[in-house]
Amino acid sequence: MANLPIVNNLGFYEIRMESVGGFGANLAGKILGEAGVLGMGFNGSNFSSYGSEKKGSPVKSFIRFCSPDIIVRENSPVIEPHMLVIFLETMLSYPGMLSGVGKDTVVIANTSMTPDQARDTMKLQTGTVVTIDAMKIAVEEKTRVNTALLGTVAAASGFIDPEAIKEYIRKNLGKKYAFLIEPNLKTFDRGALEFTSKFFEDDGKYPAQPFRAEGQKIGYMNQVIGGAITTPGNSIHKDLTVSRSGYIPVLLLGKCTSCGECDITCPDYCFVWDKETDKKGKEVQKLLSIEYKHCKGCLRCVDICKFDALVSRVEYEVDKKIIEDGYTD
Amino acid sequence: MSSDTKTEDKGKKKARPGQKVDFRSGNEMASLAASHVNFHLMGYYPITPSTEVAEYLDEMGANGEHEVRMIPGDGEHGAAGTCYGATTAGGRVFNATSANGLLYSLEQYPVQSGTRYPMVLNLVCRSVSGPLDIRGDHSDLISALDMGWIVLCAKDPQTVYDLVIAAVKIGEHADVRLPVIVADDGFFTSHQKRRVEYFEDRKPIQDFIGPFQVINSSVDPANPITIGPYMNDPDQINNKKQLSMAMGAAESVIPKVLEEWGNISGRHYRPLETYKMEDAETAIFIVNSAADTTMDVVDKMRAEGKKVGMMYPTMIRPFPSEHIRQACKNVKALVVADRADSYGAHGGRMSHEIKAALKDDPDNRTMVISRIYGLGGKDYYFEDGVGLFEVAAEAVKKGKVEIPYDYIGTSPGDPSYNPPKGKPALTKEEQSPGIIKVVQNETTGKLDVKGVKQRDLTAMPHRITAGHGACPGCGIFPSIGTFLKGIEGFVVMLWHTGCGMVVTTGYPNSSFAVTYIHNLFQNGAATMSGVVEMYKERQKRGEIAQDQDITFIMVTGDGGLDIGLGPALGSAFRNHNMIILEYDNQGYMNTGHQLSFTTPMGHATSTSNIGSVGRGKKFHHKDSAQLFAATHIPYVFTGSETDYKDLIRKAAKAQWYAKNEGMVFGKLFSDCPLNWRHPDNNGQEVVQAGIDCNFFPLYEVEHGITTLNYDPEAKGKKIPVTDWLKTMGKTKHMLKPEYTQIVAQFQEEVDRRFARIKAMSENPLL
Repeated sequence: MANLPIVNNLGFYEIRMESVGGFGANLAGKILGEAGVLGMGFNGSNFSSYGSEKKGSPVKSFIRFCSPDIIVRENSPVIEPHMLVIFLETMLSYPGMLSGVGKDTVVIANTSMTPDQARDTMKLQTGTVVTIDAMKIAVEEKTRVNTALLGTVAAASGFIDPEAIKEYIRKNLGKKYAFLIEPNLKTFDRGALEFTSKFFEDDGKYPAQPFRAEGQKIGYMNQVIGGAITTPGNSIHKDLTVSRSGYIPVLLLGKCTSCGECDITCPDYCFVWDKETDKKGKEVQKLLSIEYKHCKGCLRCVDICKFDALVSRVEYEVDKKIIEDGYTD
Repeated sequence: MSSDTKTEDKGKKKARPGQKVDFRSGNEMASLAASHVNFHLMGYYPITPSTEVAEYLDEMGANGEHEVRMIPGDGEHGAAGTCYGATTAGGRVFNATSANGLLYSLEQYPVQSGTRYPMVLNLVCRSVSGPLDIRGDHSDLISALDMGWIVLCAKDPQTVYDLVIAAVKIGEHADVRLPVIVADDGFFTSHQKRRVEYFEDRKPIQDFIGPFQVINSSVDPANPITIGPYMNDPDQINNKKQLSMAMGAAESVIPKVLEEWGNISGRHYRPLETYKMEDAETAIFIVNSAADTTMDVVDKMRAEGKKVGMMYPTMIRPFPSEHIRQACKNVKALVVADRADSYGAHGGRMSHEIKAALKDDPDNRTMVISRIYGLGGKDYYFEDGVGLFEVAAEAVKKGKVEIPYDYIGTSPGDPSYNPPKGKPALTKEEQSPGIIKVVQNETTGKLDVKGVKQRDLTAMPHRITAGHGACPGCGIFPSIGTFLKGIEGFVVMLWHTGCGMVVTTGYPNSSFAVTYIHNLFQNGAATMSGVVEMYKERQKRGEIAQDQDITFIMVTGDGGLDIGLGPALGSAFRNHNMIILEYDNQGYMNTGHQLSFTTPMGHATSTSNIGSVGRGKKFHHKDSAQLFAATHIPYVFTGSETDYKDLIRKAAKAQWYAKNEGMVFGKLFSDCPLNWRHPDNNGQEVVQAGIDCNFFPLYEVEHGITTLNYDPEAKGKKIPVTDWLKTMGKTKHMLKPEYTQIVAQFQEEVDRRFARIKAMSENPLL
């Protein structure tokens, strides 16, 4: 049986996966846990951080491995991971993403960036950065990023047996999704091959990001009694771009008639309107732009627009200025 | 109690004979145990985090792996009633619930125990609302302690399996005959996968529990009996004395059954598990999952030479008082950590019971300290355990307890923090653009709505704001948002539990620019009726200006009109001036797509699985619009965002009726791309197909007179139901040949209901 390359004082090698609902982090954690415990003979545990089960909301998956004679007792989240897997490029710069990461941590990032670029985006003090363009592999193989990332996890870990993971990919897809097994195994293999890895010393460029650095701003001395929220509509400050899965609507104002149907169908209330005076001198509503901060990329608006004024585009190919402006001519 | 918990044999990977090593969660182990027991029946109602127990069991059942009859309740109260009835009819019964589900059904528990029908309830512990919190604490568990049920505690997935099986035998013992709760921690245990063992087939379990002994059967005509008589004094006290005696008998039965199971399974449990207690000077008593972390803390502190120990109970009803007295003989200070507070009692519930137990030992000098931890599911970290031992050590050092009762893990907050402002309150003028006009025809009395222009209506401010966390393509927000375009002026909304509520109000954020209230799944309509009547009374008393005008809208969905149907109908019978809106997405989406009564026949959900024998939902969808039409409220309608002009027109009428006459009920056809399994972008097409196949007729009922607003056949748009079913992943299986008969039944029901609405539309007397 393989040995764990490094363990904490309770004897665990610990993995934290950071993702949003819909990208398969929960399933990846399950497969990894099964492969380690049932396939490779470690003891271990796996669980996810649950809120409500929503696609597009942040989710974490945790995996612990230890030698088979150790009893697993720890059941709180992984705070100082030996491996951190970040499922989306947009999450790299998220606050708290690197919490508890140290020089022994391997950070696997799904990104088209180089390890140096990814390190600067994350502001990593020290540790190993492994980059893999899992999204590209998933698009090409018509699979999901989770399988590609599992390939990278196995290869970059130095101890996880790729065959064990493949066995549990097969078992999890089972008879029901048998047609997905081959493309997923290919995705896994590509994830294990196509990554780039680089270790960064602590060169003083960025500070460490220990776990739980910050206290809660709202607590029992200043929470409004009963838990009432007295700031109506304050969710407008939220940035939901992480909920998107690669596509966005682009508003071509030249074709737009301001008919208003997009405003009916948008679940996220992203369309920005104002009044203008038309040729007849009448005050009318005019569609100005899309607030991309709130757009989850569902493309309902593209589906409903009769004038081709809303079109679907691959997000990373869209000029950043269009996203900033919220429209193009 | 002389030896510590045997742990050395748990580390081996090799399974014991007849058993299998696997990697499973607490909920999976509960359902596996239930399938091995092969209960006759499970009555249940989904509630996080216990929902998966019924889901897994249903999935196994769909593949013919057990014979447990699955009955989805109309709510937890109804589920408990189903379970009770089933136990009187002489079989083994299982249920699983959590938090408010337990409390909602609580009145049934003394009925179950007082009439002495054993069953097993897996309580997957979760914080009791409100404010709503879905994570794990023991605030539900402590409410269950005085119900006359045996309560067993399972700290990890393996124990869940073992105790569910043992519970059957314990509760059915001739000297006991009591129902049993097996409590494990929500998420920490229910959703955490660990290495486990279980028997590969059910035979060893069947041999262990033996056949069910029927006592007092409700289905034995040869022996007619009266179950549950009217029993005042002088008799009821004797019924309770018997119950107390049964609980006393359980105290000796439980260790025997656990020992017997230990001999079969190789896994031994004792009423009170102790860990390194022999010479411990300070100790922690803690229930369930946090016990694991505490043992790690004990190991570390022992390695540092400190005399520490810990204990956790396998049973808390009956309470292991004698075991605790024995374990605490030489303990100088004991911290009792409670994951629930008994507000105002100066200590957590377990701390009081332990103090009471120790008081009976006149020689005991243990200082007992109460600490409340982990409420609302806040994690219990290794450092927290260290901190608790420091509290005990401090008491030993000082010879007294300075703070007998306190919380750990709270945050005072930063008093200088100014949270970012939301949106300024919308003025009446801003919310009253005056685009839509509702005029009542003076002679006919009919309402005429003018000005439904979607371009102009983009000027109506969104009462629900951006930044909510719904899934991409969610149908709730276009449905409710479009309806609100037709409502002028001030609005107060109440949403009861469901996806729409969960994604809009994650503390400290709110997506409501107007006043919003949440109340639980079953009680939204009744709550709103209270708001409406208080508003009117305060207006009458001059406390609120007479000319202020608020439209009150209560929003339900995700099956809320199953569990909340009674209070909603009650509100309709009272005809309050308010609107009830149901976004019908055909399932309990906030808990992961379990069937609701609005789920159509044959549709696959996580509790109506398809498989070798499973064929999706077994009965037809509920027609809530017709239920409300039968209450004779002034206005009932159905609507869809796909016909938004119709929907906005109906909203304007709804507001008029709510203001001038009373209750309005509206049912909106609201898609869920995640669980209906179709692309995020085409919800409108899927919904329109559902309308065009006559599944969801668009109509309104005013003063009992029905008007069909859209007849697909007349418009040349009529399609067969299969053209709708093929658009969704949850129904694609229905196109297979083995579903021909089910689809035919579904088509027939859809046609029959549509024809009925059409006939009503053509005849004002119907």
